[in-house]
Amino acid sequence: MDLEAARILGKLIGAGLAMIGAIGAGAGIGIVASGAVQGMARNPDASGMVQTNMILGIAFAEAVAIYCLVVALLILFVM
Amino acid sequence: MEQTKWRWGFKRWLVLAVILANYFLAQAFAPVLPHIQMAAEPLPGWMGFFALAAGVLILILGLKDGARESILIAVWLGILGLLPLVTGFKWTNTLTGLVISLTLLAMIGLAVRRAVNSGDMVPKGVSGVMEFALEAIYNITESTAGKWAKTIFPFFATITLLVLVSNWTELFPVVDTIGVLEHAEEHGHPIQELFPGLATITTGEAEHGEGYMLVPFLRVTSTDLNFTIALALIAVLMTQVIGFRAQKMAYFTKFINVKTFFTKPFFGALDFAVGLLEMVSEISKIISFSFRLFGNIFAGSVLLMVIGSLVPVFAQTGFLMLEFFVGAIQAIVFGMLTMVFMAQATQGHGGHEEEEHAH
Repeated sequence: MDLEAARILGKLIGAGLAMIGAIGAGAGIGIVASGAVQGMARNPDASGMVQTNMILGIAFAEAVAIYCLVVALLILFVM
Repeated sequence: MEQTKWRWGFKRWLVLAVILANYFLAQAFAPVLPHIQMAAEPLPGWMGFFALAAGVLILILGLKDGARESILIAVWLGILGLLPLVTGFKWTNTLTGLVISLTLLAMIGLAVRRAVNSGDMVPKGVSGVMEFALEAIYNITESTAGKWAKTIFPFFATITLLVLVSNWTELFPVVDTIGVLEHAEEHGHPIQELFPGLATITTGEAEHGEGYMLVPFLRVTSTDLNFTIALALIAVLMTQVIGFRAQKMAYFTKFINVKTFFTKPFFGALDFAVGLLEMVSEISKIISFSFRLFGNIFAGSVLLMVIGSLVPVFAQTGFLMLEFFVGAIQAIVFGMLTMVFMAQATQGHGGHEEEEHAH
């Protein structure tokens, strides 16, 4: 295996490994949404407030996945 | 049962014609996965005329209605357009996107101004949509920020609208596809001449040093880190300013907390350390703001390019719908997080003041 092929291989494996972090964000968003839906089902009047806070929580959880994505994109397209 | 009558609509045939044209054009010119670059690509300096034209357009439209604010926007766009023409300033393709977003926003603003001045109590069209959106934004701000809503609302609304419009430029057909061809050192594609002066990239790898790559005229503004970091800096700095206005010097005890340093033996020092951590969290807010928007929209445009090169017909439509949704969500999230951080900064974290705000 020559050096260039090894570099590409390393880049692809690295980008794949970087995206492992998205597992946590996926689980987190699932938990947030499940909690929000339960809350809305019990108290439909508060659904507006619950929805706002749910979107905020999802945004925070998603940020972690986006960091992984940015790292993976950096590895793929910049390095 | 009611009989439904078949109508020979016009738009459905237009859609069918576009789909067929899409299919045959994809057969004739195989779509290429373009060169994906993270930083914005520089364009020739004559793109500055584009900003000048946008400035003149806004000036003419604004002065027709007597809106003097449009002079400010036109002057700003004029300076931006003259920079690459006069000095060695590099015009990037994300700046084109920014100019288009600003022009659209200014035109929406002028349309709303006209509707407000006409005296109609029921706004129609664009102004109706804007009234609905701004009212929703104001209600969210008021329910979170209370009496500071009037101060915080402009930031929420401006950031949301600008990010929304610039995210949705991703859905325009010419984005990332029409541009100038430049010599590529490596990974270039051979080109095929359609008309004199008009060429297209073809699939396949060119010989070393002979290939070309496409530098598009227009790229989504949010795929440039400069734009997102600038917005994040504005949001976080104005959070500090609003916090200072609300609490005066007491705001800074959040960062350098010496209130309990000499009275409590151990927990005073702990409070001080937590105050230093607050400073770190302000910096991490800038990073998370900018990378969230950048990552989402850049990944979206890469996704659209890849899907477009794999399945050129139909498949992209679904992903365009996804990107429409993601762009809206990211704009709302950016604005809403700014608003929540500002609202938190107006509320002191010590004792009686908090209870006062709660009711």
